Amino acid sequence: MNDVQLLPFMLLTVAMLYAASRLPVAYLLSRLRYPGFFLLGIVGLLPFLSGKTVIWQWGMLSVRQEGCLATALIATRFFSIFTLGLILLGTMPFMTTVRSLRSLGLPIILADMTLLTYRYLYDISGNLSTMQIGMQLRGFRSQKQSVAWLIPNWLDLKRLASLAGTLLIRSYEQSERVYKAMRLRGYGWDEGQWGVGKAGGDREMGRQGDAEIMQNAKCKMQNFSTSSTRRSFSPHLLISLSPHPRSTLALTLTLLIAAGFVIADILL
Amino acid sequence: MHIPDGILPAQVCATGYALTGLATWYSLRQINRTPDPSQGVPKAALLTAAFFIASSIHIPIPPASVHLVLNGLLGCVLGYYAFPAIVIGLFFQAVMFGHGGLSTLGVNAAMMGIPALLAYHIFQGRYGLASRLQPKVAIAGFAFLAGAIGLGIAVLIFFGLVLTTIPFGFDAATERTAVLVLVLTHIPLMVIEGIFTTLLVLFLERVKPELLQNEW
Repeated sequence: MNDVQLLPFMLLTVAMLYAASRLPVAYLLSRLRYPGFFLLGIVGLLPFLSGKTVIWQWGMLSVRQEGCLATALIATRFFSIFTLGLILLGTMPFMTTVRSLRSLGLPIILADMTLLTYRYLYDISGNLSTMQIGMQLRGFRSQKQSVAWLIPNWLDLKRLASLAGTLLIRSYEQSERVYKAMRLRGYGWDEGQWGVGKAGGDREMGRQGDAEIMQNAKCKMQNFSTSSTRRSFSPHLLISLSPHPRSTLALTLTLLIAAGFVIADILL
Repeated sequence: MHIPDGILPAQVCATGYALTGLATWYSLRQINRTPDPSQGVPKAALLTAAFFIASSIHIPIPPASVHLVLNGLLGCVLGYYAFPAIVIGLFFQAVMFGHGGLSTLGVNAAMMGIPALLAYHIFQGRYGLASRLQPKVAIAGFAFLAGAIGLGIAVLIFFGLVLTTIPFGFDAATERTAVLVLVLTHIPLMVIEGIFTTLLVLFLERVKPELLQNEW
């Protein structure tokens, strides 16, 4: 996108799509605040530095045309991409997004990792703030003063490293418990057949009766101990494979349009 | 350290996605070779979340305080799961907080993730020298290198990309000098990242050595 005349059309399209998505404007503004300031910090200097045509001058300060155009281009591109991403993700539950991506060929490991990370993100964030409050109650104050600039307090650094390390260890131990619980419910590898057995083929985890789970778990334990041949990864572990046709279609269309724009931009 | 949407031209974004796709494919292939990859998935996922949270801890450096990137440490602990972990972490940062962006996800992931894989291999190098050095010294030294180099390469790529793609109107020589100067000013940060990685790795080695074995 290097043609400035196309910018109003871009903004118009984005505005129409946003209106069609019926998301509130306040949502967009609240999301836009932080990255917007960050972007302005990067490109804010451009009008004063870049280009030769001076359109306005005040002492040493001169505003240049090329720089202004580049800033407008970058800002509009940023706004359009950001808003479109927001429309795509803000109108679809996160599970549906991952499910649609999964049916578009996202590898199973990535899909499962995404869902589990999403599930435990706030949990672990809560852990961290509990630990930080605990540290403060025991008298920890990070010292801003030190022997010299740029030399951090050694003990502080050590304590913060222990804090981060403890967070990692707690998450690791929690992940072991989570894995065992998932395993008992049928998560894992098996020879050519899916996690919970063919009868329960396309169901999400946790919807079966307890007896069935236990039975399957026992069978699977035996399978695991005896078979050592190469196994294939079961594809419906955390999400059911039953596709969600409309969202999959929407996602496919969006990705195709995005790819089309990129190709057109490179070729033209 | 994240490149936002809109700055990079489409070619660079596409190249970033291609590199990320390649690195993800390679990592997944290595993961699928382990006896039971499903065992690693929950661990990698929870540690991804933990790293994501841990990088928000403020490190006081006297006049101000900084966030760490921790991509070197991520490589040391997660091994080949580090690259998918970084892709997922950056995806959440882009979606939830607006750090980075969806169109630059590929570039950012390659910028952080390839140094993380490199850091993993550097950290594995400690086994080669373990016979000659004391094990504790070897671990500390290689952890420092992994942390510092992991951040250093990411910084180099970041400033290289930002300065060459934004039309500041500098000529090539000025751009090269600017990249060099900006990278040099980040050397203290690299040292601090390396020290923090070392302290953390020594802590893990003392408290939970299995986390550093990469055998899951």
